[in-house]
Amino acid sequence: MPPIIAGRHKRKVRFPAANLPPAIISTPTTAQQKHTGKKSPSDLKPGKSSKSKPITASGMASQEEPRPGIPALFTQPPPIRDPLVTETVQLQDATVNKCLTFLKGLHVSQQGTLNASGVPALQRDGHAVFLFESLEEEYPAGFVAMDASRPWMVYWALAGLTLLGEDPTRFRERVLETLRPMQNPTGGFGGGHGQISHLAGSYAAVLALALVGGEDAFALVDREAMWRWLGRLKQSDGGFSVTEGGEEDVRGAYCAATIISLLDLPLALPHDAKKAREAGFKTLTEGLAEYLSRCQSFEGGISGSPGVEAHGAYAFCALACLSILGPPEETIPRHMNIPLLLSWLSARQYAPEGGFSGRTNKLVDGCYSHWVGGCWPLLQSALDGKPQSSGAPPTTFGNLYSREGLDRYILGCCQSPSGGLRDKPGKSPDSYHTCYVLTGLSATQHHHYRTNTSITSSETFASAFSWQSTPVRADDNVYDKADRLVAFHPLFVIPHQAAANMRLWCERQPIAT
Amino acid sequence: MAEGYANDPEWADITPIELNDGSDSGAMPLATIAYPSEYLEATSYLRAVMAANEMSERALNLTKDVISMNPAHYTVWIYRARILFALDKDLIEELNWLNGVSLKYLKNYQIWHHRQVLISSQTHFPSVPAKEPDFLMEMFAQDSKNYHVWTYRHWLVRHFKLWDSPRELEDVEALIKADVRNNSAWNHRYMLRFGPRDDVPDAGMVNAGNVDISPEEKGRLPVVDEDLVDAELKFAQEQIVRAPENRSPWWYARGALRAAGRGLGEWEGFVGKFVDGDMVKSSHAVEWLADVYAEAEKVKAVEMLTMLKEKYDPIRKNYWDYRIRQLGEVA
Repeated sequence: MPPIIAGRHKRKVRFPAANLPPAIISTPTTAQQKHTGKKSPSDLKPGKSSKSKPITASGMASQEEPRPGIPALFTQPPPIRDPLVTETVQLQDATVNKCLTFLKGLHVSQQGTLNASGVPALQRDGHAVFLFESLEEEYPAGFVAMDASRPWMVYWALAGLTLLGEDPTRFRERVLETLRPMQNPTGGFGGGHGQISHLAGSYAAVLALALVGGEDAFALVDREAMWRWLGRLKQSDGGFSVTEGGEEDVRGAYCAATIISLLDLPLALPHDAKKAREAGFKTLTEGLAEYLSRCQSFEGGISGSPGVEAHGAYAFCALACLSILGPPEETIPRHMNIPLLLSWLSARQYAPEGGFSGRTNKLVDGCYSHWVGGCWPLLQSALDGKPQSSGAPPTTFGNLYSREGLDRYILGCCQSPSGGLRDKPGKSPDSYHTCYVLTGLSATQHHHYRTNTSITSSETFASAFSWQSTPVRADDNVYDKADRLVAFHPLFVIPHQAAANMRLWCERQPIAT
Repeated sequence: MAEGYANDPEWADITPIELNDGSDSGAMPLATIAYPSEYLEATSYLRAVMAANEMSERALNLTKDVISMNPAHYTVWIYRARILFALDKDLIEELNWLNGVSLKYLKNYQIWHHRQVLISSQTHFPSVPAKEPDFLMEMFAQDSKNYHVWTYRHWLVRHFKLWDSPRELEDVEALIKADVRNNSAWNHRYMLRFGPRDDVPDAGMVNAGNVDISPEEKGRLPVVDEDLVDAELKFAQEQIVRAPENRSPWWYARGALRAAGRGLGEWEGFVGKFVDGDMVKSSHAVEWLADVYAEAEKVKAVEMLTMLKEKYDPIRKNYWDYRIRQLGEVA
């Protein structure tokens, strides 16, 4: 247990306000510099706060020899370097320089924590304390931008704590009372009290309720109103807008599919689903996969909306949505060009950093450990084909990315010395990154596969509730046994049992259409 | 207004709706924020006027006040847009104000959706506002890969049918000239050149989203302008020569060839210049050759993939191994 007795009194916390999570999937944040008047020390813009040193094979910024046990792949710059330097290269160089100190195990904060593979231990207690504080202590006024994302803040902290082995159910009553005023009688949850319902906030609220579980939590959601609201969000091209009058994107598709499947909502369109009805759709899910298909870009990755640049966070949303709609070995090849997708997804992993970037020619960021890392079990399941009738794990193509690289990036570069996890060295930790970096680490530690047995007896979404996991064999891991995390469901990003409990409770309370 | 709404006679008829943070239940709410008192008050009045669906000048000013304190408050933006249309406000004035807010808060979804909602109004904007491209370039000067701005610009192209507008291509070329690794600009160029147009549903590639067409056919144009394809391939080659290890133009070229239904083989000579024994200047060239050889010379293809796996891109070893296995199965 972490050394904290939480929730007795409120204190002002000392979270650095300069570095909020990027608006990847959450209802967004804005640059916080306005509130603090300070620039983040990690501002990498060339010509501003950091001068990047060019890297050449002979002239490394960090010349010191790495600690033992670390392959050269993670201590050397890439073998080919173009002479032409542009802004992209300056930012990339600065990032590699910062990461190398950590990857080589040379940073002062890593002293005494390295294992035989040269990888630091997971600072479990420090991360738990960070998340407990993010949940229980009052954020300073500079965090007012998070006022539209409060269900997220609850979810990120609870999910992260659950991964670390903490029991989230002790927060049940407080979660219920925090979320209750955010639900609107017209369906869905807003980012806070008096805010219009948003699919991202509703997703986070539903997952937070699933994490704490129990009848009171499940019954808090007005499922019939949620269903009607989703009907109004359904667009004529098959996708979902995130609010009534808001933007339509792939986040909306994934959040809606998650909510529909976990809450066992009727698939039939409600009467006031005006746009969807006019387009000829009969159900909430009709046309959704085709919409996602149109979001695949020429690079092979998936964009936030049709025609935009391929992006890791949206790739996860799209692949997870397809894998909720049906078995991934059917839905993914039917709607995505797999060779293109594999190539783009694989190219997201960089060396020496080992972590994932979200887009071509952008920097690695710890949060993509989940957004990009989370695509791999889904794609691998699609490649492995139908589940074994024996219920055993399939003979598999195996991991198509480097688990070792990602583990080294997460444990070496993403752990903030004072607790919490971060985008990259030099950035401040936050609960968003802590949650999704830990989710990514957990995914590297488990083999996720589907079985022929689903917890739901209904045919719809049977595949989504048929996932199981086994821990990855210990002999080729670069992390220690003590660094193992709880397994999460690869589609719902909560424990398998939490998803099952919510679904089964809802199945017993059918909604009359 | 800074002195508060409670003492302002203009707001005397409104009973504010206080924040319900759940603490009345006796439970201690989670993830709370120490809101500044001005923010708490303004949002209490916002809840009240929104509950009454009030469309008024004072409500419009209130939205501006809340935005100045928290531009991530999506609700207030949606409400503001409704008021603007209900009161038939001057949208040019709104855009001018919005420009300043946009430059101040670079990573914000709401601002760009709000802009899209305004400019969607055919009555107000029958054609693209003249200063729009200049403003977008000003945004790109701050962050040339800003996802929200590029998403908006893509929407703008479709909305006003700007695929062949000289300004679109000029801006893309200027950005690629400044940083040849600006993949967002390459994506925009692809959409200008090869994306679906007019009444075809929007998509990252043509032929997508139709269950009767295999995903293998995605990106394949029904009618090909070979001159245009040749010009784009020439452009890609020029950019590859500037920085051969840059993924963007290589994948752009693949997209162009795919659009035209032409194979990768026609580039074999050009690509070979970057792979000369031990003098490899581009891992993308090695991958290109692997794909060319995969057709008929599988041994050479395996050789290329092995080079990538062992020397030029070993972090992706498992992927290259998978590719090698795929060749075996084909053979």
